[in-house]
Amino acid sequence: MANNDTKIGAALTAATCGLLGIAPSTSVASDAAPAWDVDSAFLYYGESDGRVQDLSLSAHATRDFGDERTLGLDVSVDSLTGASPNGAIASDGPQTFTSPSGRKTYDTPAGDIPLDESFLDTRFAVNGNWSQPLARLYTISAGLGFSSEYDYQHIGANVGLTRDFNQRNTTLSFALAYANDTIKPVGGLPLPLAQMGDAVGEDQSPANRAGDSDSKNVLDVLLGVTQVLGRHSVLRVNLSYSDSSGYLTDPYKILSVVDPVTGEPIARTPAPGTSGPVNVYLFENRPDSRRKEALYAELRHDFSGKVLQVGYRYSTDDWDVDSHTLESRLRLPFGESSYLEPHVRYYQQTAASFYRYSLANLAPAPEFASADARLSDMSAVTVGLKYGRETAGGNEWNARLEFYQQKAKAPGEFLIGNQVGNTQMPDFNAVILQFGYHFKL
Amino acid sequence: MRKLILLMLGCVSLAGCANLGVEPWEREVLARDDMQLDSNALDTAFDDHIYFSKEGTSGGRGFGGGGCGCN
Repeated sequence: MANNDTKIGAALTAATCGLLGIAPSTSVASDAAPAWDVDSAFLYYGESDGRVQDLSLSAHATRDFGDERTLGLDVSVDSLTGASPNGAIASDGPQTFTSPSGRKTYDTPAGDIPLDESFLDTRFAVNGNWSQPLARLYTISAGLGFSSEYDYQHIGANVGLTRDFNQRNTTLSFALAYANDTIKPVGGLPLPLAQMGDAVGEDQSPANRAGDSDSKNVLDVLLGVTQVLGRHSVLRVNLSYSDSSGYLTDPYKILSVVDPVTGEPIARTPAPGTSGPVNVYLFENRPDSRRKEALYAELRHDFSGKVLQVGYRYSTDDWDVDSHTLESRLRLPFGESSYLEPHVRYYQQTAASFYRYSLANLAPAPEFASADARLSDMSAVTVGLKYGRETAGGNEWNARLEFYQQKAKAPGEFLIGNQVGNTQMPDFNAVILQFGYHFKL
Repeated sequence: MRKLILLMLGCVSLAGCANLGVEPWEREVLARDDMQLDSNALDTAFDDHIYFSKEGTSGGRGFGGGGCGCN
């Protein structure tokens, strides 16, 4: 109805102007201007060897209400399938594991890294954000976010304030975000460092579980400065602090218990008449708090139409995971309305203090332990290329192809007996393919 | 970390920064879409989500990402 009114209004104005013999004013044109600016994309993410595959659809829409008041909306749907490493080490013999539900088992052939193939999920996420001037030189923003998976729910809120200085060449920003996430693992919450039990029937509870769900809270604080360096350069520097508390363990990850001399898995025998693990595995346990600090800097520079973007992040936390990330994009326009954009990224992190390749049998049990490779010494490289083309109507379509390679390493001090020189980490390669369309409504 | 915060605040308050920057009529290049710091917001959102799921640290550019129990 509003659209019709606008069109009728514009038509009447145009007709009146025509009768009076004057050109319509620009305000009429802006009334009829598109209200929504929409960036949409389809993404495929696929890991090698039948591991995680993700299909995702996302849209980011902004509406300008004039006077620098904008509404931003994000909607995203993800569909995940494939196998995920469960944390146990590869063994000379075949291995059997109880599935997360505690009702079935799955097998891993001798010499292979154990993967849990029951990984399947659909995620739906929506975010809304409002931004408007608060006073001269001040802008305030506020947002809400929600996402849902079958075993995980997230709700979050954020507020931000920016202040311009120095003829708007310097912008100082401060933002706060708070999130409350609830996890409800399939089969219930495993007891910390408890043993994986045999598979049970439909009418029984899986062994060593305590309760159905738990939650975590995350507080993020961000302080940023954006500085115009000259006619062709702009720099942003952010300092951020993040405090997570609550259930930070991955309920689906386990550790192999090994002989303290040989480093080989300790055998167990399933109860008569049941199927279950033939080696000893413990559910992982992480601290219930994590504090992270990060420094992020990003520079954009224009070289006669070519735009170089360089970003660096240093992150450190009280789990001892320190990381460096270096990333760069170079946008190269060509022809009348096309561009190519190569992208490279390098990431490197140190292992968490409680990361273990495996746990020695009979040794005093640590309070916290995880064999999740994402908490080990690790490095990763991404190389990609994006192509974009503007249509005659001012919209843009684009395609992006990237390759991601991750290599992890177990810290030597935790390797036992035969493990030295024989570690197998769940390294992988992945392909990222994205098609996007940017249009106005 | 505290030193870095002081450095950033110092930069804003110091007259030195006032020499950086441009006059309002010199913003032709800076106003272009491809010079905006959030110009590829959808790409970075996808990337942040992927790297959050696969690596031990996240955030920095914006908030820590997440809102998923990513395996």
